[in-house]
Amino acid sequence: MRSKRLKLLCFKDKVEILLSILASISIVILFLIIIFVLKEGFPAFIRLGFSSFLLGRRWAPYYEDFGAFPLLYGSILIVFGSLAISVPLGVSTAIFLAEYSPKWLSDMIKPVIELLASIPSIIYGFFGLTFLAPKIMEFLNISMGKVALTASMVLSIMTLPTIVSISSEVIASVPKEYRKASLALGATKWQTVKSVVLPAAKPGIIASLLLAFGRAVGETVAVLMVCGCVPQIPSPPWNYLEPVHALTAAIALDMGEVSWGSLHYHVLFGLGVILLAITFIVNMIADFFIKKAPRGVQI
Amino acid sequence: MRAIKEKTVLFLLAFSAAILLLTFAAIILFIGVRGLSTINFRVITASIRKGGIFESIIGTLYLLAGTIAIATPLGLATAIYLAEYAPKGKINRIIVQALNNLAGVPSIIFGLFGYAFFCRFLGLGISLLSGWLTLTCMTLPIIVRGSQEALKMVPKDFRIAAEALGAPKWKIIKDIVLPTATPGLATSIILGISRVAGETAAILFTCSVFLTKDLPTSPLQPVMVLTYHLYTLLIACPGASTDYAFAIALILLGLVILLNLLAYLIRMHYRKRWKW
Repeated sequence: MRSKRLKLLCFKDKVEILLSILASISIVILFLIIIFVLKEGFPAFIRLGFSSFLLGRRWAPYYEDFGAFPLLYGSILIVFGSLAISVPLGVSTAIFLAEYSPKWLSDMIKPVIELLASIPSIIYGFFGLTFLAPKIMEFLNISMGKVALTASMVLSIMTLPTIVSISSEVIASVPKEYRKASLALGATKWQTVKSVVLPAAKPGIIASLLLAFGRAVGETVAVLMVCGCVPQIPSPPWNYLEPVHALTAAIALDMGEVSWGSLHYHVLFGLGVILLAITFIVNMIADFFIKKAPRGVQI
Repeated sequence: MRAIKEKTVLFLLAFSAAILLLTFAAIILFIGVRGLSTINFRVITASIRKGGIFESIIGTLYLLAGTIAIATPLGLATAIYLAEYAPKGKINRIIVQALNNLAGVPSIIFGLFGYAFFCRFLGLGISLLSGWLTLTCMTLPIIVRGSQEALKMVPKDFRIAAEALGAPKWKIIKDIVLPTATPGLATSIILGISRVAGETAAILFTCSVFLTKDLPTSPLQPVMVLTYHLYTLLIACPGASTDYAFAIALILLGLVILLNLLAYLIRMHYRKRWKW
């Protein structure tokens, strides 16, 4: 009995116990985030009704109209627009880096991509606001530069690093034997890439797109600065030349003015719940694809 | 025919890489050129009441220093636990999963959480301390992931050799593993700082205000921050002169580039020095 306890004590030395307590803080934080955002957002769903909150067509906080649909639609519109730009650009850059470019060039481009990923979103927003928006206004001859298209372009620059860095890593991790076998059969380089390497890398590339989606949906400051912040569904609904509003932008804009505990306050947390749900679902699907990626890929 | 197709493909792929580089250059040049023409010694060192941004710069440094002081020990402890004590098993999987989920949470949600939990529930108010804690939650995944990689890079032979000499586990970690992994650990912490330096959404309603009378004297006071200052200039005061905005943007950009360069150099330096 005594020796057993002694063994247990030696096995679990004090350092390990201390470290395990500190390490589990990340779990605690995650739970606290979920609990507190849900707790504060729940009253909005109760008092407004789940469907009239989520699908309500009018967002006018000062008239106590809290329909989140225009925000949700605006977010989705902007994000899909951004992916339409960043996916072709990002995936082809990734293919170039992993398959074609000489080593010195990749060694030069990769740090630039890392840097692009760490430029603060407010800088991107600032760039969009003072450079892109006026250019778009001038170029397309529209009365206002802060439209969905501008937001999509800014977001596409911001999501490119995610797509490029993960995709190129996944492509590079496709086993060399695949390529050699294909080349030995007489396939050209592009045929090899197209029909052997890319199919093998597909799950990882899809994961990178999903992660980019999650990041774009959650982007706040940059979107807020260039989307125009007009809570409307453009007519026609796919019109990218009209201003829109986004979930994140509404939270950031209104949060400073609401009084604690008011319906508006709870509604903003309700928007947070929607946002959190979207990002969790997207990240979960991305996780699923990452597990199918070629071995040894760490994301 | 085949050769032409191959060439076209290569051209298109290289073209997209070029677009990426050009975009990057455009951002740097645009902010660099206009920022350099507005920034000067007076703007940086003068108080806001005299038209400078001194308080915001110092406030940002306060915010960075505190966050790193809290996040570094937590992050390192987590990474050491994951890499050395529980490399496999259920606890490891749960913690890694939690960190991955944390990394995917949008920064505005951290802001909401920080406000509801730190400012309101714990009663810390809009304060430097709330900002530190909120940003710690955000940087934790970055620091842990980077540190874990760094610890994994330490060769197994080092550990085996130390074990053969009879060293206890904690001593091996303290005297062999940590010193060897230091450059990697430093890099991950620097990248964590760089994330905090440019963060706006998470501090909007947790710690920052546009105007304070003086620099904060206790962690329970609000603070002026560069990113928040820029945000307010652009959002709340349309028509305000954008000169300051360019100066602040340049400082932020410079800070982030500097930190990334530092991380890059550390990595390169040690990769050259130690080859195993």
